[in-house]
Amino acid sequence: MERICNDFTINIATANGTGSQSANLIVLNSMFQMGVPVSGKNLFPSNISGLPTWFIIRASDRGYQAPGDKAHIQVLMNKDTWHKDLALIEPGTIVIYNEDAKLPVDRDDCPSYGMPMTKMARGINPKLARLMCNMYYVGALAHLLEIDATAIDESLKNQFKGKEKAIELNQRAISEGRAYAAENWEGPIPYCVEARDKNPDTFLVEGNEAVALGSIFGGVNMLSWYPITPSSSLAESIIDWLPKLREGDDGGATCAVIQAEDELAAAGMVIGAGWAGGRGMTCTSGPGISLMSEFIGLAYFAEVPGVIWDVNRVGPSTGLPTRTQQGDLSMLYEASHGDTQHIVLIPGTVDECFEYGWKVFDYAERFQTIVFGFSDLDLGMNNWSTAGFQYPDSPMDRGKVLRTQEEVEAIVNYGRYRDVDGDGIPYRTLPGSGLDPILYRGTGHDEDGIYSEDPDVYYATITRLRKKIDGARDLLPVPIIREEEEQQIGIVYYGSMENSITEIDDMLESTGLSVSTCRVRALPYHSEVEGFIERHDKVIILEINRDGQLYGILRKELPVHLLSRLHSVAYTDGIPPRARVYADKILETLEVTV
Amino acid sequence: MSNIKLNVIDLEKSEYTGGKSSLCPGCGHDQISNVIIQAAWENGIPPEGIAKMSGIGCSSKTPAYFLGKSHGFNTVHGRMPSVTTGASMVNKSLAFIAVSGDGDTASIGIGQFVHAIRRNLDMVYIIENNGVYGLTKGQYSATVEKGSKKKKGTTNVQPPIDLCAMAINLGCSFVARSFSGSKKQLTSLIRAAMGHRGMAVIDIISPCVTFANNDESYKSYNYVKENDEVLHMLDYIPHFTPLEEVDIPEGEYDDIEMFDGSTLRLETLDENHDPSDAVSALSAIHKAEGENKHVTGLLYYDDSMETADEGLGLTETPLSALSESEMRPSEAELASINAAFRGA
Repeated sequence: MERICNDFTINIATANGTGSQSANLIVLNSMFQMGVPVSGKNLFPSNISGLPTWFIIRASDRGYQAPGDKAHIQVLMNKDTWHKDLALIEPGTIVIYNEDAKLPVDRDDCPSYGMPMTKMARGINPKLARLMCNMYYVGALAHLLEIDATAIDESLKNQFKGKEKAIELNQRAISEGRAYAAENWEGPIPYCVEARDKNPDTFLVEGNEAVALGSIFGGVNMLSWYPITPSSSLAESIIDWLPKLREGDDGGATCAVIQAEDELAAAGMVIGAGWAGGRGMTCTSGPGISLMSEFIGLAYFAEVPGVIWDVNRVGPSTGLPTRTQQGDLSMLYEASHGDTQHIVLIPGTVDECFEYGWKVFDYAERFQTIVFGFSDLDLGMNNWSTAGFQYPDSPMDRGKVLRTQEEVEAIVNYGRYRDVDGDGIPYRTLPGSGLDPILYRGTGHDEDGIYSEDPDVYYATITRLRKKIDGARDLLPVPIIREEEEQQIGIVYYGSMENSITEIDDMLESTGLSVSTCRVRALPYHSEVEGFIERHDKVIILEINRDGQLYGILRKELPVHLLSRLHSVAYTDGIPPRARVYADKILETLEVTV
Repeated sequence: MSNIKLNVIDLEKSEYTGGKSSLCPGCGHDQISNVIIQAAWENGIPPEGIAKMSGIGCSSKTPAYFLGKSHGFNTVHGRMPSVTTGASMVNKSLAFIAVSGDGDTASIGIGQFVHAIRRNLDMVYIIENNGVYGLTKGQYSATVEKGSKKKKGTTNVQPPIDLCAMAINLGCSFVARSFSGSKKQLTSLIRAAMGHRGMAVIDIISPCVTFANNDESYKSYNYVKENDEVLHMLDYIPHFTPLEEVDIPEGEYDDIEMFDGSTLRLETLDENHDPSDAVSALSAIHKAEGENKHVTGLLYYDDSMETADEGLGLTETPLSALSESEMRPSEAELASINAAFRGA
């Protein structure tokens, strides 16, 4: 039998709260340790215990990280989804199942492998059987796929760091699973893993932890937060790392952490911190941004720096709290009432999560406004590979802050909101400095910060604000452009779509199309995005939402002659983007048949 | 030498004044602004060390009318406490003097009011309480008495929220009630609140001369004057005035020492009120309420509570004054983080 190495998808169906995530991560990490390019997607419910969870592991020598279109191996552990899971698989799918579920595997067209996992786990420890039975499918997969025993061991130890008892028990369960499979199952199966040269620098990390570390290296002084999936782990990661990294000379903390009473208060605290000259941030998801919007307008209009990370989940409303989407982009860009516009940084990799984690403070203080980091559940809560975080390559930019009387006097006719440099960015003084104080306000104000309802003053203010934010375009991260010589089709995309784009691109090119790609990494979009669109006859704006939110922004801001070449391909169902789904939709849009 | 009076840090009172008020002539809020100016000047607080905070409403406009040499932030409706919290965390050396109203605090901002107290944020929180929304032309607020009737329109049928009782129940470390027309009492209370470390809530009945000054309104000038149940006479003795130089009262009195070394002297009137006793403070409030009166004075005081910044164990230097090297861990630290992730 010809075996397919490092090119398959495993779907593991379990119930939430049974410890299956540990088992899944051991499989994922052990393959990663072997140098196999691998990605893992946790499709979990909004629930503590009992509801269905799926974990999708994709091995791909081509580096494809999207969930595969179909499962090559299906693990059945959950009675509740058993029949549906079985009905969905294609003929030939390998089925590994827990015999103790006592449910039929009525798919004669699929080779199936049963194991009395619960019973075996009870043999080790009856009380922990519900958790440990998951380790048997780890052993089973290790046997069938020929996963290196040392890699499994290492991953197990890493997963239960320092908990010797747990390591010992689970190690036993995995060995028993492996041995049972070897003795009782007819093999081999058509799939296997094969070790590759692994870059010893690489490791897996979640986007939220990468942002957390980036924020700490960005000098965050105040973190206010209100728990919400999928951003809680970002705040909690900052809390975990702070004592190790951010102690002052006297042992005191150099960053205050406040769990706020709600997202409104969290945003208010960020603005208070920024106003007082500190680096404040909060992290939330869409529902939180909705609540914060009033304050976001205040920061925009009163020109106060602050950082808000949005880890996007599925909206509208409470939506699908544990699923992923890019549905908040247009809300972030124009959050709050009246004419507003905000800077949004959009990482597509965990390296960028770290980088933008620190950079975002520089932008916020430079432009004296709220700057958003825009991540999503897929990037934030799943594990991605990095070769290591890069230390900030530039010193902190604290922006235009006047810190001495001489500095104030050096400016002719100083006023808090006077555009001295012609870039729309005025100079500010800090509370406590005694320098040219004003009463900050969200009401209309003149260049000196004095209350004003004067029509000319108001128009001048909002015009300067537009100029200020517009001036950020080319100072923000440049788009990542991969351009073909033949400039036929261009795809503009952003954020976590990065994990699916290579595969989508390959699928499109296999039909004979020449496809270039441009990953937007910030709003307002860089002038190079416009250049890319200018060079391509047909441009697909590819995103994980219903309405084509970036498409809408581009249509509003691009010159009219470019609009007819824009085509929106937007789709969302809560699942991280599967390449086939989006490739087909692009082809449909281009009216090309495969 | 001129005969201009200087305070303990050699500043004239004019260094503490602000812009011209745009409130209605006779507004209680303007009297309070004047007391704030007087209190800050008499206490000798450097104006640059003060931060003025407010929400939205007539009362929240007033920071424009006092302490013009201090930075301030007129934030959004009901959200002043959270902005103050963030500012206080990054610069705990600032003296926060906040002004809010009954709409701002008892309705839209009641959650933030509650949680700022719960954190014992180090600030003076003044509520200019008139029972109506003035800026939107006279709607009832949540502190207005049940049965209150405006010149025009319907009778209020809901019971009032007593912000002092609420603050005491939440464990607020300094709770007082006063009246904008009681200049001496109010000055002593605000001066003491400025010397307090932690949350100092002062609920000040401040009549709205335009919408709620009819005699039957419990928050009108005439009504409050007639129905003010004063707990004690108050005398504030700043830390820079030696106590022995102050005349000893004839009757009974209690001295409360504030965090900054100042003394608030409580001279007993009919009955002794012990401000460390939350139960008697609450019963004084409820008793007065039952008699349709306002009890004024220092209701409750507790200097033993940890403030928000103390609880967080912040470093001594205000966080806004930290250098880059104190805020950004070293390259070596990042290298060791990367190494730890790699399992080295």
